[in-house]
Amino acid sequence: MARGLVLDPTATREDDIANPGPEAGVLAGKRIGFRLDRMWRAWDWISDVWADKFRAEGAHVSFWRSGGRSGDEGERMEQSLKEFLSTIDVAVVGLANCGSCTGWTIRDAITAANTGLPTTAIATANFESFAHTLARRGGRSGLRVHVLPYPLNERVRDEVVAIGKAHYDALLDTMGARHAVKEHAA
Amino acid sequence: MTIEKINPAPNRATPTPKPLISRDCGPEGCEVDWLASRRHEADLDIESFTDFAMEEGWGDGLPLVPPTDARVRTFLSKNDRYPDEVVAHLPPMRAECTVEKIAINAVMAGAPAESLELIIAALTAIADPDFELYGVNATTAPVFPAFIVNGPIRDKLRIPYGYSCFGGAATRSVAIGRAIRLIMRNVAGQVEGVTTQSTFGSPARISGLIAGEWEERSPWAPLAERRGVTGDAVTSFGAMGTMNILDTTSHRAVHFLEMIGKSLAYPGSNPFSPAVPYGEAMVALNPICAEIVGREMPRIEDVQECLWRFASVPADWLQTLHREQLEAQERVREDGRVYLTPEPKDILVFVCGGIGGLHATGFHSFGTSIAQTKPIASPIPVSEKQAAE
Repeated sequence: MARGLVLDPTATREDDIANPGPEAGVLAGKRIGFRLDRMWRAWDWISDVWADKFRAEGAHVSFWRSGGRSGDEGERMEQSLKEFLSTIDVAVVGLANCGSCTGWTIRDAITAANTGLPTTAIATANFESFAHTLARRGGRSGLRVHVLPYPLNERVRDEVVAIGKAHYDALLDTMGARHAVKEHAA
Repeated sequence: MTIEKINPAPNRATPTPKPLISRDCGPEGCEVDWLASRRHEADLDIESFTDFAMEEGWGDGLPLVPPTDARVRTFLSKNDRYPDEVVAHLPPMRAECTVEKIAINAVMAGAPAESLELIIAALTAIADPDFELYGVNATTAPVFPAFIVNGPIRDKLRIPYGYSCFGGAATRSVAIGRAIRLIMRNVAGQVEGVTTQSTFGSPARISGLIAGEWEERSPWAPLAERRGVTGDAVTSFGAMGTMNILDTTSHRAVHFLEMIGKSLAYPGSNPFSPAVPYGEAMVALNPICAEIVGREMPRIEDVQECLWRFASVPADWLQTLHREQLEAQERVREDGRVYLTPEPKDILVFVCGGIGGLHATGFHSFGTSIAQTKPIASPIPVSEKQAAE
């Protein structure tokens, strides 16, 4: 059987930032921005729950909703996202709950992280591995990803709200965030 | 009411073919034709190499031709591109897609060397940000880029536009399509369950879908020409699949278009989804049907308008949660209907297929992936180049 050399058909991207980036730190006084989408009502409900809790910590909360990402609409979205990122101190980006929306969630999270913002992407469990894969292939393998249960969007609102409340402390851990009260005590 | 329109991003340059200069250096290649890819030692018979390639994650399950230096150099020597030229950065990997990587994958797929410029034009089309390949390559949907070829290159490469043009025609267009799919896997990094979450996938994710337009049987200008590119050109469309539409009763243009339009308008199609801000559709008319329609509607805009009006559903016919979301997005129009696409122009129409008639094919887009048309470059003979200088 003849042996010989064959050429590698694959292409890889070598650059990577393994560091998760800055921590959110004490939230009091910070401007926290949520990246929403138009796909997942569950993400709207959970971000509302977390927004209330952030406000209770003394943070200011704002929202940006992703729309069409192609054509002139896509250009407007890119510009609008950049402007939004310039108005916040901490980014919470979701929801990675399908293929393309995980793609855009991670892409927008990387955009936020690359501006130097403490950034956490939100994924459901089924798309956790995918989210990390895309973050690595996007050049930021260390991107913070907080994981919610799956399926999520198929649950009724009360269940989803309860999940949001139950995940809040773990979210803060992922974000590298600290309660103002605990900070003072320390 | 807010209907988001589909418009290309501003400041996109009008596509013009890249000028290529013929250079015949033979299989040994020109001085600069070095190949930079890593070499792997492998058994070179097809069966063993296919096993090896599958273990390496390079394969699609079908037999693969070993991409030896000699084969890749021969492929390149029949073209006019330098191997280190970067053609695109394809997501999700966004690594450099060079001519060399294209040639290696094309050799593995069994694609003819003469197809390189078509492959490059196709890749350029789907790499356009407006095609939204990032979503196409990651989604849970079965979407694949379908390619419609116009111009004399159809016959040169035997791209099918008659019987079984969307699958089954025995031409090497299957290998050309497969080459693009291998590039998606090996360069863009689209791997099932890893970077593509496609729930069911599609046969066209193996062989691709490349068909020509039967321009000579079309009552209208060629698809690419209508989209601003004359001559050899390729149009990419993010297709969710092929949808057959049978009509054995119509005999007038409006009847055919009513059947086709209404068939396109099924509520589970992506362009009707509240999750998708907008979408396009594409319709392949067979030559017989096209002739009948063209007699009554010589303007393609009238065909699109007619299709568009029928490709809609009454909002109150939709499932409640679905309707409520569309209402919240202000996509229910004043006539109480939801339309498949924002405007008539967003339904692309072209002519192909066998002359047995009866059938049309519908394609629904993934959503925000907007169809792209790009020219296919052809080399300028050295003598002409010298004369011009």
